[in-house]
Amino acid sequence: MNKEGLLYKISEGIQDMCYIWSKEIRSTIKDEGVLIFLILVPLAYPLLYSWIYNNEVVRDVPTAIVDLSHTQTSREFIREFDAGPETKAAYYCNSLDEAKDLIRKQVVHGILYFPSDFEDNLYRGEQSKVSVYTDMSLMLTYKAIYGQAQAIASHINTKIQISKSTTAFTNRDEEITTKPLDFDEVPIFNSTGGYGNAILPGVLILILQQTLLLGIGLSAGTARENNRYQELIPISKHYNGIFRIVFGKSMCYLMIYVVMSAYITLCVPRFFHFTTLVQPWPLFSLMLPFLLAVIFFGMALSCLVRYRENVMLLVVFTSVPLLFMTGISWPLSNMPGYWKSIAMIFPSTWGVRGFLSISSMGGSIEDIQDEIMILWFQAVLYFFITCAVYRYQINHTRKHANEKIMNVRAKAKEAMNRIDS
Amino acid sequence: MLKRIYHIALRECGIMWKNPIYGFCMVIFPIVIIFFFTSLMSAGVPTDLPCGVVDADNTTTTRAMIRKLDAFQTTKVVSHYQNVNEARNAIQKGDIYAFLYIPEGTTSKLMSGDQPKISFYYSNVTLVAGGNLYKDLKTISTLGSAAVGIKKLLAIGKTNQEISDFLQPIAIDLHQTGNPWSNYNVYLSTTMIPGLLMLFIFLITPYSIGTELKFKRSREWMAMADNNPWLAIAGKILPQTIVFLTIFYGFEFYIYYILGFPHPGGIIPILLIGLLAVLSCQGFGIFIFGLMPSLRMSMSVCSLWSVVSFSVCGATYPAFAMNPFIEGLAFLFPLRHYYMIYQMGILNGFPLTDCWFYIMTLCIFAMLPLFTVKNIKKAMLLYVYIP
Repeated sequence: MNKEGLLYKISEGIQDMCYIWSKEIRSTIKDEGVLIFLILVPLAYPLLYSWIYNNEVVRDVPTAIVDLSHTQTSREFIREFDAGPETKAAYYCNSLDEAKDLIRKQVVHGILYFPSDFEDNLYRGEQSKVSVYTDMSLMLTYKAIYGQAQAIASHINTKIQISKSTTAFTNRDEEITTKPLDFDEVPIFNSTGGYGNAILPGVLILILQQTLLLGIGLSAGTARENNRYQELIPISKHYNGIFRIVFGKSMCYLMIYVVMSAYITLCVPRFFHFTTLVQPWPLFSLMLPFLLAVIFFGMALSCLVRYRENVMLLVVFTSVPLLFMTGISWPLSNMPGYWKSIAMIFPSTWGVRGFLSISSMGGSIEDIQDEIMILWFQAVLYFFITCAVYRYQINHTRKHANEKIMNVRAKAKEAMNRIDS
Repeated sequence: MLKRIYHIALRECGIMWKNPIYGFCMVIFPIVIIFFFTSLMSAGVPTDLPCGVVDADNTTTTRAMIRKLDAFQTTKVVSHYQNVNEARNAIQKGDIYAFLYIPEGTTSKLMSGDQPKISFYYSNVTLVAGGNLYKDLKTISTLGSAAVGIKKLLAIGKTNQEISDFLQPIAIDLHQTGNPWSNYNVYLSTTMIPGLLMLFIFLITPYSIGTELKFKRSREWMAMADNNPWLAIAGKILPQTIVFLTIFYGFEFYIYYILGFPHPGGIIPILLIGLLAVLSCQGFGIFIFGLMPSLRMSMSVCSLWSVVSFSVCGATYPAFAMNPFIEGLAFLFPLRHYYMIYQMGILNGFPLTDCWFYIMTLCIFAMLPLFTVKNIKKAMLLYVYIP
């Protein structure tokens, strides 16, 4: 075959690519740091997080009751409050101070207070107040106690209205008098309001991105440290072109992470019975550009890494801010514009949003078109940046190598001259 | 002895000055993080959340209802949809978080006393948005009923006071102690930011000890301390403690005194919690490095530990609602104790004696190096770094 021909170059390139690919896989398994972050963490971490959030909702939030009224209505209120799924009447106190002491001891998270004239007011036809005191160190317990108390108040209110009403003769009359406009509340997605179902999809996708960034960075750092001249790219006949290096390495990561993302997006939610409405085709069309974007993003960044441990210092802390940037916790519509635009740089922002749409809300490809498009755009952009960075590295390596050879040659020449003279 | 510590500390300052990663991880990134969280949630409570409307009735009554919904602080009616399917698609796309559906004939049924039914749909996929919109949509739906009641009662000559007494015989009087605005900035920034600051301490401590081995300076370092590992570690950690403490106190000063986050507990718990947070994390970092004197292993462990602590600390999802095993495990994470001291001592202003257990545990974290410092000495003198 003609050694200058295009065909030869391509076949040589593919062979080199496969060589680099296999070498990268070997180093993934041999290097314990890379092994931890590329294989063990993506396998184990999702399980741990799922376990943490697996109970989804708070049940039986202990509440202190201060009933100074001691009447039928107050006791009915308390009974219903205790029977509610979210709250529990845990302690009965004689004064607010006593109840406050219980909050101090962290045994209750809120107080229900019935003043002594609670029922008198009702019989007098005046408005009666139940005071609810909540410990604001936890939003979920506050919502549970407040929501439950409100629901019971409105239930008892209805009963009182019926008893007062003079025009209601039949059951239907009563319904119409108390609720002329009926309504249905439909929690359309994440219908249990579960915390795990809300937060976990984001965490899962973020685990994919962060471990991939750490793994790529660590392996680049190791390559540099193992190299005699601290270069990222060794001098070898296999490392002769940018594309073969970039493709060879990315193939290795893609291969591992195709399996990991299948495990994380399909198996883990099923192990723990989280909502997963995902369809195969939307999932595939989202995850492929997402993985590619993350891989090339990581490879472009990995050139900055001089020492392997620095990767951890640079990547680990970003996990929490990146999770917030996806809009999973603080709603996107209230995020300041500058953070929204910074968030656009990271693949996780789009990956998480797309995954929420297809997994938690059963969205189709049309629903995540924007996300897919941007992820492909990122993948291409970061690919070219990676190539540019690698090209710089190769030239850098060659220059250094040449300098060293020239040095050796000059020294040899000098020595020869000395011998001659 | 003090002189030796001083010299080692000076040497450490030189190392920190030369290696830019220290500057980034101890000063620049923490400041960025502090700014990120406090600015991200600076609104405190989410307002104008996008909400949709499917108004198949389209009468003055329903339009007035929608206007009223739009006027709520939390809700903003961004678009009208032709049918429920379209609105559902908009939720799936992420354009809106909830929508109100008013079927055709609602007004006429209302007039004829036929009890029409409207529905509202909300998505809990973003819990904060779903929860807030749910509150508003429920209020507007209840108000719809109330409006009819008010009309009727006015017609038979009731006064306003009587009407409100009839419509709501029992009212809930809510006291949100500590954070009366249910401000999310107060709620989340006070644990997320310290968690990240602690993450940096977690990582930098083993990094600074481990790099001695890596750059083959460990024997020189030990020699400066006369082979006494206690002096060596003390000298090394001291400058970092000072920098981290400055950052931590700066952060606390910023949120409590400039942004005015509630802190009825006063200055003493604020100062104490900062000191404990820094020392316990450094103690933990040294302990882990002593346990496995390899730079990469100790840093991996520390990073995995610190990332899990955000979930396990129980600031967002309460610890008592977790699996009992996880609840017990939470005690191994300094951030959990930090959060408990914060909410009891600072947010609620209870006496510090109430959180003695958590203070004591953080002190134990700070003393953990007692068990492994000998091991560090051995490692420094005998081990060779293998990349």
